[in-house]
Amino acid sequence: MSNIEKNSLTRYQNPEVFEQLAIEYAVGSLHGRARKRFEVLMDTHFYLQAVVDAYEHKFANLVELLPEEKPSDKVWQNIEAHISANPTEATHQLNQPQATPWWKTSLFNQGFGIAFMALVVAGALFLNPMTGGPVATAYSAVMESENNETMAVTKVVQSDMKLSIDIMKPMKIDDNMQLTLWCHPKNGGMPMKMGTVSSKGKTDIKISKAEWKNMKDVGMLAVSIEHKGDTSVREPKGKIILKGLLHIEHVKS
Amino acid sequence: MEDIYAELLQKTAQGDQLAFKKLYEECSPKLMSLCLRLMRSETLAEDVLQEGFIKIWDKADSFTPGKGRAITWMSTVVRNKGLDKLRSLKTKAPETEIEYEGLEFASSDLEPDKLENLSQDVKGLMACLDQLKPAQRECILLSYYYGHTHQELADKLGKPLGTIKAWIRRGLEDLRPCLT
Repeated sequence: MSNIEKNSLTRYQNPEVFEQLAIEYAVGSLHGRARKRFEVLMDTHFYLQAVVDAYEHKFANLVELLPEEKPSDKVWQNIEAHISANPTEATHQLNQPQATPWWKTSLFNQGFGIAFMALVVAGALFLNPMTGGPVATAYSAVMESENNETMAVTKVVQSDMKLSIDIMKPMKIDDNMQLTLWCHPKNGGMPMKMGTVSSKGKTDIKISKAEWKNMKDVGMLAVSIEHKGDTSVREPKGKIILKGLLHIEHVKS
Repeated sequence: MEDIYAELLQKTAQGDQLAFKKLYEECSPKLMSLCLRLMRSETLAEDVLQEGFIKIWDKADSFTPGKGRAITWMSTVVRNKGLDKLRSLKTKAPETEIEYEGLEFASSDLEPDKLENLSQDVKGLMACLDQLKPAQRECILLSYYYGHTHQELADKLGKPLGTIKAWIRRGLEDLRPCLT
């Protein structure tokens, strides 16, 4: 990665900068090369996509104000011809691993706050095992610092069998220390140690089938600062610097 | 407010073509209106609408009720199709083909009966937009509905490019806290 790319990335990891670019992108006022550059970054940094989605869905309410204009009949005829030729496409996708990025269906309503809590509650109700309803295929958490500043976004996707955490704002830690990610059970008890996390950017952690299965019982994710190389640690010994509730991100019927 | 299209979209995700047709009948007039303003050509607008609804059919399972309204999800899909098309065309169709200029439909002084029928989401958004200076509000709405570039807005409004950029930037800066 060149210095220019690094500088550009650092710039986009500044919430003040990317929030403004995200809202400009969503409203359509980001044009030309700047728009293209932002799209490239969105492909690799899901927090950018999540913020854009949130703003896009806010602005999409503006469509409600428009007067109605009926399209010609041939539009539906063409659509109908297409879907008749591909009758199984939509239903087929239901049985596939979720291809749509998780952030496409998340965060888009209200940003990172109230909606997340609403989703957690809705998800919990929807996925109550007593109902025999659908099962989760993805989880996510927005992780905040002690000052309630959004610092990282985490996703766990069954189809990838991995946990990804994206640190939006680089964190300074001593050279002999490292960040460790933990999954805390809803009902208490020993946390599940997930692994070491980079202090900036994205880290992917492969998860086992057992770890995936346990995700349904996880209530909170936490990142602590631990001594480098201390592999024996079974629960956080150092300071917890980031925390976030894990919630169901996507389900399959 | 109940999301009247969510159920249709969920049925669409299960391959229910009748539900999809109903969804099209209900929502396409609003979305066509958006496409016409973005594309300024009936042919291009119908192309975008068609491509947008095919994507809605293909990706309907990406929609999750409770995380947003079905109409905003569909609007975003269709509008992004339109913006992609505009970019691929390099130049927009001349405005003479279809004359859509104003923002009367988005006036902050809507008649009470029209206002009453709007969702809480759009009322909230309008309240946020009404906090902006009129010029900022106008530029932002023209960008959204018509996909105008800064230069196009400068030409249209007869203002220097720098002024337009500043209006939009400051307008969006002021809008952000209200939206979140």
